[in-house]
Amino acid sequence: MTPPLDMSRRQFLTAASLAAGAALLAGCAPGSPLSSRTETLQFWHLLSGGDGVTMSALLDEVNAAQSDYRIRPTVLAWGTPYYTKLAMAGAGGRAPDVAIMHATRVNGWAPGGLLDTWDVDRLAELGVDRSTFPGPIWEKGFVGDRLYSVALDAHPFVLMFNTDICDAAGVLDSDGKLQQTSSPEEFLDQLRQVGGSASGHALSYGYLGDGAQMWRLFYGLYAQHGLEIELPVGGKAVIDKDAAVEALTLMQTLLDGEIAAARADYGGAIAEFATGKSGMLMTGVWELRTMQAANLPFDATTIPTLYGTPAVYADSHSFVLPHQANADDARRDLVYRFVAEMLKGSFDWAEAGHIPAYLPVTSSPAYDDLVPQAHYASAADNVVYDPTAWFTGSGSSFQGEFGAAVQNVLLSDADPAAAIDRFEARVNTLLRQPNPADPEGTWKP
Amino acid sequence: MTATATTTRAIVTGGASDFRPRRTGSREQLISWAFLAPFLIAFVLFLAWPIIHGIYLSFTDQSLTGAGGGFVGFANYAEALTDPIMWQSMGNTVWFTLLSTVPLIVVALLMAALVDRGLPGQWLWRLSFFMPYLLASTVISQIWVWIFNPQIGAANNILKFFGLEPLAWLQNPETNMLSIVIATVWWTVGFNFLLYLAAMQNIPPQQYEAASLDGAGAWRQFWSITLPQLGPATVLILILQILASLKLFDQAYQMLGGVASDTTRSIVQYIYEAGFVSYRFGYSAAISYVFFALIVIIGVAQALITRRKKEQ
Repeated sequence: MTPPLDMSRRQFLTAASLAAGAALLAGCAPGSPLSSRTETLQFWHLLSGGDGVTMSALLDEVNAAQSDYRIRPTVLAWGTPYYTKLAMAGAGGRAPDVAIMHATRVNGWAPGGLLDTWDVDRLAELGVDRSTFPGPIWEKGFVGDRLYSVALDAHPFVLMFNTDICDAAGVLDSDGKLQQTSSPEEFLDQLRQVGGSASGHALSYGYLGDGAQMWRLFYGLYAQHGLEIELPVGGKAVIDKDAAVEALTLMQTLLDGEIAAARADYGGAIAEFATGKSGMLMTGVWELRTMQAANLPFDATTIPTLYGTPAVYADSHSFVLPHQANADDARRDLVYRFVAEMLKGSFDWAEAGHIPAYLPVTSSPAYDDLVPQAHYASAADNVVYDPTAWFTGSGSSFQGEFGAAVQNVLLSDADPAAAIDRFEARVNTLLRQPNPADPEGTWKP
Repeated sequence: MTATATTTRAIVTGGASDFRPRRTGSREQLISWAFLAPFLIAFVLFLAWPIIHGIYLSFTDQSLTGAGGGFVGFANYAEALTDPIMWQSMGNTVWFTLLSTVPLIVVALLMAALVDRGLPGQWLWRLSFFMPYLLASTVISQIWVWIFNPQIGAANNILKFFGLEPLAWLQNPETNMLSIVIATVWWTVGFNFLLYLAAMQNIPPQQYEAASLDGAGAWRQFWSITLPQLGPATVLILILQILASLKLFDQAYQMLGGVASDTTRSIVQYIYEAGFVSYRFGYSAAISYVFFALIVIIGVAQALITRRKKEQ
């Protein structure tokens, strides 16, 4: 009774699986109608949200402008997941042609052979060289005397302010800019003045459970002492206790519940400022679009220099060449062209808030008219990156360790000095560990 | 009798040759191996091989970046045993297990007793007590992140209602472990509840009937009939619960947004951090085997205790 049915079912299943297989294979075939000479370059990055939208518009432009190559972007989640996958792709020999990394992460990667170096001469032929970048940003691309990353931007930690509230509080000068403050006391006075005119807090600063946010403000303030934290390989961390405690104490003072909310997380702070309840916001420039979308009367400036030396905490999105065992020279040529094109077209990248690293862009008259970006463009000359070590940088465990060490201080009146000691001990533990990209420690820059 | 058996077998295996016993053996064996094959392949690929490979890795300085891989002897184990963060994570894991197992058993028992004896509309309670267990850890993490939100969260609103100071539940090192325990109890208590309820409903109703004839009240019945007969269920729940709590990772990692907090970092999270954040596969593997040793100790202790109970 069943055989005929049985047969037909089998036939059906066979036919169906063949059809499915064919469909799958068809999916693998390149579907674009581009000419056969067009090379597809794989480009990995970690930019999502507003940044992602701007990036994909930039890529569309670059793709449309020529037919020699086509960029195929792969977007992965920001932070640890991205770096883990990029490292594994490199280790497995299937790295993309070009990728974005935070400039601060390059140091940990260079020794393991995960990255290929950029040929400075080849870049120079395309109009990309030392003279077209602010000094500290170009220098950050080097490990030893070899260039490993080429910065697209600098994205500093800045101060946004609500112009209506600050005007009412009388802290704006005649140009509508925030009056300069040059000491912690002056800055605190200014904030208290602003607090009188704001319905919420004077300042919004989200930090709860977010080591990176705590670190960004802290290290900027620390560096304003004219100091940097040094993390020598195989040695002990060099941290100026007095400066560190001073910076952390100021943060504690800001979070007194009056000037800024004592318990604010990242999203809460953004929401408070975006809804016009607070006078100022300490944030990364990448939130610029959020504030513009909120139709807020606001401007932005660098975090005031409170300890004498202008210093702005920042990181850079940089182009890197993930290591390829048999790099195809013709494809590499196209990658160089792509990066040069991106840098030259990075004016639009500024719309996402970032400061383009390519000087011809920021020195153009059009950039001066780009407000408020132009008001913090000077930050590019004073950028301070994470201390150099294999374990530091954006999305690294280092910033998380800092958060774990100081969280309690910011939440209560616990002793800042003890927190700095905790942090130092943890950093020294990390310093004792080998760089996993070079466990035997044989690599020399 | 024999004829029936043979016919049944013929239907099951469907071959005429089954009438010859010798060939039946090898053919049946082949078929049974074929049915076992999918599991065996998965078992070898994803369980047996990783366990062996993990042991090998723990003796090397293999990195996720492909670098290293040289044999380093017991260096990773020596480092793990002197690593304060390793011990802290181990302590956090054990602390979480203690903090969560007790309420997960007591609350489940209370809920089961209420549903079994008292509350009307049993199906509704059964459903609502069990429902959270069906949610993915990502979902419960999101729910509780909102409840514990320091500014607009429900938890702080409740504190304010009672005139108490609001807390930074998940961020304050003094309260974050407790917050994770609360969320975990809410999430998984339903499973233990169901086990208890099933055990209670297995108790013959005649015993309660007889007891009430003897004049025993509801409390007396609970203490003298229900509780004593829940012993085996409690042992089962305890074992399952300890094993589940030792695995602490996903809800803690997600609720804290991946932040490494000294007071909540579990050993599983440290294994993850060593391997996938610091890229030290060899070291990460070594910590896993230290953790494995802890589980073996708990397992042996538990086996000894249950055996002694049986002998008694």
